[in-house]
Amino acid sequence: MSLNSDGIIRYTGQSSPLFKLAFTTGLLTVITLGIYRFWAKTRLRKYIWSSVAVDEDSFEYTGTGLEKLLGFLIAIVFLAVYLAAIQLILTFVGLGILTAQGNELAVLASVYLSFFAVVPFFFFAIYRSRRYKLARTRFRGIRFGMESGAWGYAVRAIGHYLLTAITLGILLPRQTFYLEKFMTDRSYYGSARFEQGGPWQALYAALKHVLIGLTLLIGSGIIGGLVALPLGAILGVVGYVWFMIGFVYYRVKSYAILANHKTLGGQVTFRADPSTGVILKTVILGGIAMALAAGLAFAILGGIFSASISGYEMAAEPSMAVIIPVVIGYLLILAALGALFLVMITQPIIAHLAEKLRINNIEALAGVRQRASDTGADADGFADALDIGGAI
Amino acid sequence: MIGAAPIPAVFFDGQTAQRHPVLVSVSRDGLGLVIDLKEDGTCWLWPLDRLRSLADQAATDSLKLTLHSETDDESPRDLARLVLSDPDMVAWLRLKATAMHKRDLRRGTTAKIAKRLGLAVVSIWLIMFVMLPRMSDFLANRMPLETETKFGQAVVSQMKLVLGGGDGGNLVCRNAKGEAALNRLASRLMQGRELKYAISFSVLNHDLVNAFAAPGGQIVILRGLLDKSASADEVAAVLAHEIGHVEERDPTRLMLRAAGSAGIVSIVLGDVSGGSAIGIIGDQLLQSSYTRKAEAAADAFALEMLQDAGINAAAVADFFDKLAGLQEGFAPPEYLSSHPSSEARAKRARDHAAGQGGTTAALPEADWIALKGICNR
Repeated sequence: MSLNSDGIIRYTGQSSPLFKLAFTTGLLTVITLGIYRFWAKTRLRKYIWSSVAVDEDSFEYTGTGLEKLLGFLIAIVFLAVYLAAIQLILTFVGLGILTAQGNELAVLASVYLSFFAVVPFFFFAIYRSRRYKLARTRFRGIRFGMESGAWGYAVRAIGHYLLTAITLGILLPRQTFYLEKFMTDRSYYGSARFEQGGPWQALYAALKHVLIGLTLLIGSGIIGGLVALPLGAILGVVGYVWFMIGFVYYRVKSYAILANHKTLGGQVTFRADPSTGVILKTVILGGIAMALAAGLAFAILGGIFSASISGYEMAAEPSMAVIIPVVIGYLLILAALGALFLVMITQPIIAHLAEKLRINNIEALAGVRQRASDTGADADGFADALDIGGAI
Repeated sequence: MIGAAPIPAVFFDGQTAQRHPVLVSVSRDGLGLVIDLKEDGTCWLWPLDRLRSLADQAATDSLKLTLHSETDDESPRDLARLVLSDPDMVAWLRLKATAMHKRDLRRGTTAKIAKRLGLAVVSIWLIMFVMLPRMSDFLANRMPLETETKFGQAVVSQMKLVLGGGDGGNLVCRNAKGEAALNRLASRLMQGRELKYAISFSVLNHDLVNAFAAPGGQIVILRGLLDKSASADEVAAVLAHEIGHVEERDPTRLMLRAAGSAGIVSIVLGDVSGGSAIGIIGDQLLQSSYTRKAEAAADAFALEMLQDAGINAAAVADFFDKLAGLQEGFAPPEYLSSHPSSEARAKRARDHAAGQGGTTAALPEADWIALKGICNR
């Protein structure tokens, strides 16, 4: 049990207990018309957090379902006032939900305006959600935490997105870097502060496959137009697939580069070496398995349904005795598919990222002291109300 | 386990990130765990009844323990953690520390939930029924006529879609004689009056007993209303009432309120795109859920208008009586769904009519028949 100079991270979560947990909590969520989702999320996080261990010591998630419910109540009141005002004003200036048919431009404008009105809250929610997660994470009994700064984040995020859009994506690495730096520099483990170092240009290395895909796409257009259409089409498909995979590569590699330039308390550093191939394989194989499972389950359900109504040839409509089991079956399948997604895709990716991360000079953490607890005001409420972040 | 040899375990004090190797044994009375810090001989006694284990953990063969304690934390738990992996000790604790899986809600938690829930409900209620109407009133009086008219068109075409099930275009009744009769009735009502809006009338071929005013001065009558009316006087009364709403900008107000409510509903139902909200707007407008005050004002306006046009206000009373009858019967009281207390309004109209003299029928008999047949092709 001696402390290694290199902190080795292991992921100990298993498929069957996580499936059982996700399935039961998913079912409870359906039965309670969604109210249990706050507790479901909490319990899943507890399991996943406790599965990550650095040198034998596992993480702990201390959030509660109750605080999430209360936070959600605050968030919806807040958003209700805001959205009511926005809709009212949009309507007043002649846009809004009830826009004249035929005036496509106005319809489009109103959809975009109501969407953009919510955008600041999306970024706000993203920051708050991360802050809440950190504030409810402990390692060796010490809290993580994050300073407040959600509005600052929202303003910067909007600025960066605009800049990236104006420069046709060329400044995407800059956006990724500075947004991550904004959050990292405000994050703490106990008394120790995280810091994001490194030049943002380092992230261009992660962008290479996106650029190759883009080049192929442009090339396919030129070749298809000037040389031969079939060749151009083939090149176009290849370019498109390359481009999409390039984005996965960018997400994985930029995460690694950013992690490798982070420090904790000025002494502890990190080494992340995740493989894009492994993650892609997980997503693709998991996706195929899920599609097969869903297809099979719904086919069986449909078979049972049609078999049971064929007995009632005279009846105009199927009786409740037929409908209720089918509805129950449908809900069971939905809960099972949600759990399957977690087990086949989410957990393996978390496991891979965790196991490919090393912590250097971890003994320096012995001097870290506890930090004050964070009330966590909305406790993911905004993220939940705006539907950000998925099952966990 | 009582009296057994101390067992090595890992302890986190909750103040520093240090990992303390400790020796754990059961206290002599069997009611607690003695945690012996090897480094400097500090000892803690953790009573079994306050011992709590963390829930939903991945590791099943070890226990992560803490103490029940009234802290400021998210849960009433001590900051310290004890990780035990000795199988015998884990088994013994699972047997003896029966409170280990307790949740320990803080006192007043139920009250807190109730309070927060109540606050949320009250806030949403206040927004929908106090803030929105005020804002709608404020904005309605400042809305450009052009925008109002545009919305009126949108509302009417929306309504046609709702009533006609997609075939909205063919719903408008266009019998030439009927339209001429309707125009004559309208001009008799509005003659000699300065109205803020250029009001237009149309009839939709639908069974509902209903009429509504859209923003910008469009008044729409559903055929069911013509079918149920005994005379042109009754139709005139309804039209006058709707003109009253238009002049007070009630439809515009209602539309603004509906749009705001739609924003709220979209967030409460978790549908930020606003798709589910459109139906609600249509529904609110069709039900013409104006306030009682707005209804009373429109009634007063209608009585005055009938008076000026020399039409017998008793027709209004007849119509209200009929609707009161409808409300008791099986037929849905569409027109009056939000128009409270028909009897009281009928009485008011009858009182008014008693003071009237020299009235004539709103339309000649031939015109009235033509109006009733406005939906015939």
